[in-house]
Amino acid sequence: MDLSTLGGQFIGIIPLGDIVLYFTTFNLFMFAAVLAFTVLIAISRTESQVEAQFGTLKDREKKVGKAEFKIRRFLAIVCGLATAGAMVTGDVFDFTLFVALIGIVNIGIVAAVKEIDVLDSAFQYGIIAMIASLPLFGGAAFILASSGTLSLLEIVNIPTTTLMLFGSILLFLGVAGETGVAPFFATKAEMFRTPGSPFLLIIHLSSLMVIVRIIEILLIINKPF
Amino acid sequence: MRLGRLWNSLATPKRIPRVFSIILGLVLLAGFIVPLTYNDNQLYPRPTPQLQISEKDPLAPYDRGGVPLKEPGIVKAQYPNYAPAEGMITGYLSPISIGVSNTTLYYGTSIYSSPGGLIDEILYYSRGFDTFLESSILMMAFVVASWVAIHFTMRRRED
Repeated sequence: MDLSTLGGQFIGIIPLGDIVLYFTTFNLFMFAAVLAFTVLIAISRTESQVEAQFGTLKDREKKVGKAEFKIRRFLAIVCGLATAGAMVTGDVFDFTLFVALIGIVNIGIVAAVKEIDVLDSAFQYGIIAMIASLPLFGGAAFILASSGTLSLLEIVNIPTTTLMLFGSILLFLGVAGETGVAPFFATKAEMFRTPGSPFLLIIHLSSLMVIVRIIEILLIINKPF
Repeated sequence: MRLGRLWNSLATPKRIPRVFSIILGLVLLAGFIVPLTYNDNQLYPRPTPQLQISEKDPLAPYDRGGVPLKEPGIVKAQYPNYAPAEGMITGYLSPISIGVSNTTLYYGTSIYSSPGGLIDEILYYSRGFDTFLESSILMMAFVVASWVAIHFTMRRRED
């Protein structure tokens, strides 16, 4: 098996020392999609939530202040860039660092809201993200110890051992915690209940893209076919 | 019926860290029965832990050898063709570091060894992008924390 079995045509690499970013058709498409979405977010303005009130005909509008808007846009752009980096990186440890960056920035995007429920669930998400950094980096360390290298371009040619399988289970658990997929979705789902939609969507998009990418990486490491 | 109750309990944010840590604990326990088959051909090798200490090397355990800009030290890279100057400055010591390392056997474990002392080329050269990412994680954490501190803790309005 080689990288093009999963990713389609192998297009090229960007060498940064030992860390080599590589592009396949699949990777490049996800990379471009994330970047395009990040650009859309960077030039858009926030929506304002309108809440109907009981006992009156008036509506209540929740808006995002200018200072909050700026910090959220900045963090959303950083989150988009980190997601785009995670799509094309060819190094397991580099990938875990991108995922950790996404986790931190996700908390930051909702850290500025003034709703107690949202802050509470963001706090719980922060706890999970902290716990998840153990299996995340531990999994990468196991993969390094059992295969002797971190580069995906090399791991493809190394036969899988049980320890590599265990390392990739840990890695997946770490990514699942950091991105908040099922069954840990409750914290993230509650985090969305606040105004400022386009910036909140990047939280969602980054989880989806990172999950797709981690599945590709796990298939590369474990070579089931 | 019971399954439905289980799913409902998963919808409470407060319980999620517990569920996650229980699952993590089970996986880690399962790790005890996994055979530890380490690869001997490691990319980033280390000498045996006490070897350099027993040899009374003042730079122990970080001595990688080499003469700065003349003779490369023992630093391996995954792709040596992308890191042509690998190992060339790993043996560099600043004048202060040379003075200190002549007086004590424990220079390598002291705090002197960082600034201008033992330069970890794996961190700053062959895997430099990782260091860049690590510091950006730290910077983002500071950005979030300082923004919250400035806007919510220092300029607090009662509302």
